[in-house]
Amino acid sequence: MSNTVVATTISHTIGHRFKVWWMIFKISLEERLAYRGDFALGTLMRFLPIVTQIFLWGAIFSAGMTEEGKLFGYSYTDMVAYYLLTMLARAFSSMPGLATGIAAEIRSGEIKKYLIQPVDLLGYLFLRRIAHKVAYYAIALLPFAFVFFLCRGYFSSFPDLLTFGAFLASLVMGFLIGYYLEACIGLVGFWFLEVGSLLFIYMLLSFFLSGHMFPLDILPTSVKTVIELLPLKYLAYYPPAIFLGKIQGWALVYGLLIEAVWLLFFVVLSRVMFHFGVKRYSGFGG
Amino acid sequence: MSIIEIKDLNKTYHVHQKKEGLWGSLTGLFRREYKEVCAVKDLNLQVEQGEFVAFLGPNGAGKTTTLKLLSGVINPTSGSVNVMGYVPWERKNEYRRRFALVMGQKNQLWWDLPARESFRLHQQIYQIDNKEFNYTLTELSDLLQIGKLLDQPVRELSLGERMKMELTAALLHSPEILFLDEPTIGLDVIAQHNIQNFLKYYQKERKITILLTSHYMKDIAALCQRVVVIAQGQLKYDGSLGEIIDQFSSTKEITLSLDTNDQPTGLEDLGEVLEVNLPRVKLRVQRNKVAACISRIMDLYTVEDITVEELPLEEVIANVFAHMSQPSDTDKPNEEIVSSR
Amino acid sequence: MYWLKRYLNIWFAFLRNSLVRDMSFRNNFWLELIAASSWVVMNLGFYILVYQHTEEIGQGSGWHFPEFLCFLATTTLITSVVQAFFMPNAQEFSELIRTGGLDFVLLKPIDTQFLVSFRKVSWSSLGNFVFALGLLGYSVWKMTTAETDPLVLSPIICLLYPLFVLLGIVMMYSLMMILAATSIWLGRNQTLYDFWFYITNFSRYPKEIYSGAWGLPLQYLFLFVVPILLVVNVPARMLAAPFRHQENPGLWYVEWYLPIFMVGAAVVSLSLSRAIFQWALRSYRSSSS
Ligand SMILES: Nc1ncnc2c1ncn2[C@@H]1O[C@H](COP(=O)(O)OP(=O)(O)OP(=O)(O)O)[C@@H](O)[C@H]1O
Ligand SMILES: [Mg+2]
Repeated sequence: MSNTVVATTISHTIGHRFKVWWMIFKISLEERLAYRGDFALGTLMRFLPIVTQIFLWGAIFSAGMTEEGKLFGYSYTDMVAYYLLTMLARAFSSMPGLATGIAAEIRSGEIKKYLIQPVDLLGYLFLRRIAHKVAYYAIALLPFAFVFFLCRGYFSSFPDLLTFGAFLASLVMGFLIGYYLEACIGLVGFWFLEVGSLLFIYMLLSFFLSGHMFPLDILPTSVKTVIELLPLKYLAYYPPAIFLGKIQGWALVYGLLIEAVWLLFFVVLSRVMFHFGVKRYSGFGG
Repeated sequence: MSIIEIKDLNKTYHVHQKKEGLWGSLTGLFRREYKEVCAVKDLNLQVEQGEFVAFLGPNGAGKTTTLKLLSGVINPTSGSVNVMGYVPWERKNEYRRRFALVMGQKNQLWWDLPARESFRLHQQIYQIDNKEFNYTLTELSDLLQIGKLLDQPVRELSLGERMKMELTAALLHSPEILFLDEPTIGLDVIAQHNIQNFLKYYQKERKITILLTSHYMKDIAALCQRVVVIAQGQLKYDGSLGEIIDQFSSTKEITLSLDTNDQPTGLEDLGEVLEVNLPRVKLRVQRNKVAACISRIMDLYTVEDITVEELPLEEVIANVFAHMSQPSDTDKPNEEIVSSR
Repeated sequence: MYWLKRYLNIWFAFLRNSLVRDMSFRNNFWLELIAASSWVVMNLGFYILVYQHTEEIGQGSGWHFPEFLCFLATTTLITSVVQAFFMPNAQEFSELIRTGGLDFVLLKPIDTQFLVSFRKVSWSSLGNFVFALGLLGYSVWKMTTAETDPLVLSPIICLLYPLFVLLGIVMMYSLMMILAATSIWLGRNQTLYDFWFYITNFSRYPKEIYSGAWGLPLQYLFLFVVPILLVVNVPARMLAAPFRHQENPGLWYVEWYLPIFMVGAAVVSLSLSRAIFQWALRSYRSSSS
């Protein structure tokens, strides 16, 4: 093969790739919008659990042994702000149906189509996920803005620009970690066909230990140090903690760096798992 | 009084139309267009006790929909049906105890359990007493030769074996009417044959009424005296299979083996030339001209061998369908966009 | 009574079939058992943490730690039963609608709602039931042996408690059936499960936490309009803090109006679920193949 041919195929493939990406993105977006009933309900529903949380903490604070009106270093308004921001973090990092979808495709043998067709499974699903998220944000933007506007009183002060930038960075990395982490769990399906329960345990852990259910600061210090070593906290706890100024200065810099390392780890892990999984799968003859 | 009476039966489905493209999906969030599909249109039909009736029709003709209406699974848009004195969609328990529906594409047995467990459940649900249940099960499993498979999880059975199990499940409560929707779909020739034989025997023995749809002409030729052709939801023909063949295969095929390898002349005058593959020649000739044609052939050529055949049944039916789907001037297209919400 | 025996027989057959099936995937069964119970344990852990820093959830509500354990136990009892007996069926119901498998259910000479809602049983969810019983025992022991103001259990309460737990289950079941029936109209309904989760989420906390200008309307909404707040609150309060913080014993009906209301609400919601289910069935259109 001569050099010019290589060059043209490359430029061709890049242009082609973008076209393919755009197609996948568009189709996923359409698919998402097809079920309007589901969609509208689903978006509104997400605000419900937080309502009970706010009231629950109201009740806890009302009878709590507070120092200067604070529990675990949080005032009541901080607490409310924390939950609102967690909602936002979860809107980025939650990946409903990703792992189950991958596992189901492996089990039913549908995964073959990614091995036969010239598409990369992880890349394809990634684009679809972005499309889903975009569709979601487009519709959820209004309700979110409305709720945050209503609750603006709970945000005592807006962080400085640098902190806010860190907050945004942690949101985006939260999305990426969420995606690759769950993809890894789905890929476990290459080795164990029944990932349902594993997934449930993951969901459970992430619900309690990511900061989704409560700020990690309420844990006893010894437990907290261990939990802080896990990557789960980036899924929910970390962005609000940055926003509320719980993590500052060098701790914040190191924190974000470690987050980036975790992200890299999961990207590599998912690639490796996919590689060996496919090998194993085709070794069995599908 | 017929056992099944269908009067002016109509069933219309609303299906929403998705518009093309991203913009279409976006606008679809707010308003949607609906289309009406007439799956069954002004159907009138009577079936007598003990008949074995075949429903024929192209894909989407409304056969399955009719069977679903008869078994009360869906409600009609208008019209009336009377089966053994019941209105199917009222779903009276007494009615439901007296018929069965088998669908070739679906299974109703518990996937992860041996069929025997599902049968036991049927026994409870249909209130079959123990003695009768055991007797019927033994009889059916002997007839269908599934005795050994009863204790194997259903998901591990082959398609044909599963179909036999489905049939057994449907017949356990000795229904008086049996609706069969493509019972032999996807089965190999031997399995099809087994099931045909079984149905034939069972129907003779019990004198039950059976309505069957199938796309395999063998099924129909082997089983049914009466054929009902449906297309676009409407009844197009009702009569015996023989009559259909008379009516729609007005031609026969003549195959000649000629003596020479020279191009014969004058073939076109005899009939439609289908194939010239010397020394073989295939002609299609009007039914009433066959005799005359053969004698002329004998005059014109030296012939080594000659055969006269009916059109294959498949082809006859294809003719029927082709004829049916030509819209006459009273027919409207059965789909139209009617409303948007 | 003959029909009752018949339906019970069928139900036993369902129980048996589900058990046989669960046992043929034994590893999965154990995993599910562990997963389900760790949820409860973690939830318990959270409240243990919270009670290290507070004495009561809701000032003056009477939900101290032992009482709250009773509340948690009641929640778990009810959810575990719902998850074991109804959840698998509700999930399968959407699937039946989508694939047209409901056809076969409609053919059976037996009540369709019964068949749809009792077909499958998830035995592994019953692990939590046992756990909840243990927790209940512990909290009752704690409450009856408290130094100040110990709880005195009357036989009537011991009888009424299981009865009201049952009523709570009936109400949850009705809500689930109503939600499931809507999937006949909506076709595919992925968010059904989410919706169920979010709505019942309101029932899992003491009603006293909904206070203040925003809270009270919410409380009344979930007490009287969509009465899921009654489900756990009424039986739990009956056992744990039998209205003993209220002064005037002559006004018994003030204390008892919620339980009495709950009886009515259970009856109404059950009938409503049945009506909606029947209504929805009429628009069932099967699937096209
Ligand atoms: N549940 C449904 N919703 C919408 N349209 C339907 C539904 N069921 C059937 N239809 C439509 O009604 C028409 C008749 O369908 P039906 O299944 O009765 O055909 P059929 O004669 O059984 O065809 P086949 O030979 O392919 O099984 C078709 O146009 C189909 O698209
Ligand atoms: Mg059909």
